[in-house]
Order: sequence, then structure tokens, then C-alpha cells
Amino acid sequence: MSGPILEIADVEKHFGGLAALGGVNATVESGRLTAIIGPNGAGKTTLFNVVTGILAPSAGTIRFLGRDITRSSVHEISRLGLARTLQIKSVFHGLTVRENLWIAAQSREGVFKPFANAKTCRRANEQADALLEELALTRLASQQAANLSYGDVALLEIGIALATEPKLLLLDEPICGMGPAETERTVEKIRELSKRIDIVIIEHDIEVVFDISDDIIVMALGRVLARGTPAEISENAEVRSAYLGDDDA
Amino acid sequence: MTAAAINRLGLAVFALFTLAAPWLLPLVVDGFWVDIYSEMLIWSLLAASVNLLFGYVGLLSFGQALFFGMGMYGVAIGVAKLGLGFWPAFGLGVVLATAMAAVAGALAVRLTWHYFAIITVVFSLIFYFTALSWKPLTGGDDGLSFSMPPMLALGDDWELSLTDSTVQYYFIILVVGACYALMGVILKSPLGWAFRTVRENATRASLIGLNVYLIRLTAFIAAGFIAGVAGALFAFFGRYASASYMFYHVSGEAVVWAIIGGAGTLLGPVVGTSLLIVLREELSHAWEHYLILVGVIVILVVIFAPRGLGGVWHALVRRVARAADEDAGGGDGEGRS
Repeated sequence: MSGPILEIADVEKHFGGLAALGGVNATVESGRLTAIIGPNGAGKTTLFNVVTGILAPSAGTIRFLGRDITRSSVHEISRLGLARTLQIKSVFHGLTVRENLWIAAQSREGVFKPFANAKTCRRANEQADALLEELALTRLASQQAANLSYGDVALLEIGIALATEPKLLLLDEPICGMGPAETERTVEKIRELSKRIDIVIIEHDIEVVFDISDDIIVMALGRVLARGTPAEISENAEVRSAYLGDDDA
Repeated sequence: MTAAAINRLGLAVFALFTLAAPWLLPLVVDGFWVDIYSEMLIWSLLAASVNLLFGYVGLLSFGQALFFGMGMYGVAIGVAKLGLGFWPAFGLGVVLATAMAAVAGALAVRLTWHYFAIITVVFSLIFYFTALSWKPLTGGDDGLSFSMPPMLALGDDWELSLTDSTVQYYFIILVVGACYALMGVILKSPLGWAFRTVRENATRASLIGLNVYLIRLTAFIAAGFIAGVAGALFAFFGRYASASYMFYHVSGEAVVWAIIGGAGTLLGPVVGTSLLIVLREELSHAWEHYLILVGVIVILVVIFAPRGLGGVWHALVRRVARAADEDAGGGDGEGRS
């Protein structure tokens, strides 16, 4: 794939009279970890919602892997290889950790198989076990997701996304609410994943953002204020005054 | 002994009891309890249909009696008005119920929670009043009775028919058993797990690429099929169809049976249905306000055992299995559901 993996062109989203997105233009390049930053209400999560089909945009087009997905439904977009985690961690609480990963893996094989036994679905079983291993969740495999610690739920949610074998992974504040040890573990995981999957991350922790990202998109008031490498963004006077709050610039 | 082994043992005891009931029950209680037992098993399918939707997909339907009614009228109209034989009439009932579920479901499963519950009630009321007023076809208030066609006739002197009470009993448990076996298979399949993910978190289910609408619709049609089989069996059982069985009271009763038995457990509905039908048979003529007791039981179950009697059973089995496990010195526990 030579072109950008995700192209967002003139995307608007209005809630009544409020323009949550007022014409967003952005591209995500393959092979680079992109971070979206911006103050609360900048439209970061709304942008994720529009890209993943949870919200329909009021105007504009979105292309993923060169395909127009502007009007596609959530599950169709997922099947094209776009996965995401939510700001409020979203897993299947009543199922065990392994069942959570298993059904996500099986979603690629198709679930309309009413006469197949889940225990004999080999690929999904292998993939669930591999992910348990990779995320060091094997010891929690038969625990109900509802009983996990916050950090493990966040990890499980990333695992569910990975089980769908995405080409692009959108992470919405993956380390929000984590302690220092959990943050470090998660950041390491994201860094490692970014070597094989394209990742876009919304994050408030500026230190983490400048540490792990290759590209930064700065949003404010439903628009893209600036984009560039971490070095360019930290030099950008407009961003400094508007967002980083650097008064003596 | 593992939890799975205890469950298998419990199932075997239940199956043996059911097979032997025509001889066992008359030894202990009056012979008419054999009939009541087969009636319980038929009604338990209606509760199972509620359970399939509520316990596994998270959709609370107060309209399953509609599909029961379609199965029932399909058989009665098939035999009494169209002159169909046993199997074509049975088929007509089940196909009508399933088709009705496909149509009603296509609209209803776009909604969830109270909106879904309300639209299922509305659908069943529409057809309840239709059945009530379409006298030439349904018999209206009086219902529609018919005489039993034979299941199988060989020559002129040998036939198999539900007029033989033993044949009737075993036919009923065979069909009911097949329905539970079918649900058991589906619930262990990828589709069954997709049902549970939709129940747990519909947004996450769609984010992993599952078509939530199609999954809900499939479950709705499957539940309509099960309720339709129950209705068709019930028509044969009573040689009769009546609009009163389509009223939403009947749907509501099935919801109560499913919840008391344990939503989200395969055989919970059998337990809930049996318990409440026994209560009705034993108490209703002694105490006309016995429904107060049913209400109290529902409240207690919802508060203290939200997963119903089926959930209580599974918790007990796990505890016994764990105790046995510790005595034996370790080994892995079994997963749930």
C-alpha cells in the first residue's frame, strides 16, 4: 500500500447547531504511529466515532485502504480491518477472558455456523490462546471479564481488537486512569504493536505522545490545527499558544 | 467429580424420569399427572423461547404467545379447515410461526429494551384480536376443535395416532427433547456465542465485525420456531386452538417461568415452568389468590437469585465440584455456561 491508509476529507459532524467536527482533513500514513491530541471537546473521539461508523458524518468522505467507507456500517468497517478501543473500556463483561478473545477471533471466520461446535473451531481457538500468551493473560483466561482489574480490562480490550486481525488500530486514551506501572506496560505494548500494525492513538499524556508517536495531529474546536512530527509540533507557535499553554512564546 | 459430570448425571436422571414417567407417576400420584407433565414440557418450550431471546441475546419479548398461537392455529386450521393430515398440519403450524417471527422480527429487533418489549406486545395483540374476530377461520371466542388425524397408517387395520395416550406422551417428549437438543447445539456453536456477545455489549459486538441486527433477527426467528413447535404440540395435545392462548398474559407467564427457572440456562425454563404449573394445579382451586404467592416468588428470585433456579443449580454444582476437587487434591475447574 503506497498511499495513506486512512484519508479523512472535509468531514463534518453536527449535533443540532453544534459543529463537533467542522471540516476535518487528515491522513494517516502507513508504517507510522499517529497521535491525535487536543483539548477536551476538540472532536477527537467524535472523529473516531465517525471513522468507525458509529456516527454518520454530516458531510465529507472517509477512505480506508483506498475504499470509501463513509456510509459503511460498524461491522463492515471492522471486517475491512479497522479495529478500535473505546475511551470507556468496552469488553464482554459476562464472558471469560478467553471467551472474549475467542469470539473476536471467530468473527473473522464467520459466526453464522449454528451446527459447528465452538470447541472445534481450530483457528479461533489457536488465536485466542496465542493472544492470551502474548498479552500475559493466560492465568486470567477463565476469569469473568467483570472481575478483572482496570489495567487488565484495558489490555483485554486491546486483545479483542487484535483478535480481529486489524490493519489499522484506533486507541482512544488507552492509558487514561492507569497507574505508572500499568502505563509503562501498556505503552511498551503499543510501541511493540506499532511495528506490525498501523496505530492511531488519542492521548492526553503529552509525554507519552511525544515519546511514542511518529506523527502528531493537533485538533481544536472540531478542526485540525496542525500536523507534523513531534519536533515540528513542539516548535509550532500556534500549537504552543493554543494548546501547550506556553505563554512566553 | 467435575461440574460437567454432575450436570450430565442430573440430565440423565431427568431424562430417565421423563422416559419412565407414564409408569412412575401413577405409582405416587394420580394418573392425570402424566398428562400434566407432558403439558408442562410443552409449555416449557414457550418459556425456552423467551429464554433464548432474553437469556442469551438480551431481548425481553412479551409477545412469544403470538408464535405459539400461530403454531396452534396452523395445526387446527390445517386439520379442521384444509383437511390436512398430521404431518402437513404440524409443518404448517411451525412454518406459519417461523414466518411470522421473520416478519415481526425484521421490525422488532431494530429496537431494544422497553421499545422492543412494547412492540412485541403490540404485534401479539393485533393478531389476538384478529384471531378473535375472524370467526369463520378461527372459531373466534369458541376456538376451533378438530379430530386427530393419524400420524401413520399402514394398510387398513394399523395406524399410529396420538389418540393412544402412550404414543402421545412419547411423541411429545421426543419433539420437546429434539427442540432442547437443537438449542443446546446452537448455544455451543459460534452463533450461540455471538448471541451472548450481543447480550453483553452490542456496541463491542459490532466493533468486532458482528452484524448485530442479523444476529438478533436470527435469534428472534429461532425463538419463534421453538414457540411455534410448542403451539403446534399444544394444539395436538388439546385437539383444539383458541385465541385465549395468544393473549399477552400467556406471553407474560412464559417470561415469569423463564426468569424463575433461570434466564441464560438451557434447562432453567423446564424447571420454572414445572414449578409454577404444579403450583397452579395444586393451589388454584384451594386459594383463588394464589397468584400473590407467585408474585412473591418472582420478587424473591429476582432479588436473591437473579440467574433463577438454574443459576442456583449451577452455583451449587460448582461448589460441590470444587469441594470434591479439593478432596482429590487439585485439578482445573470447569468454565460456566
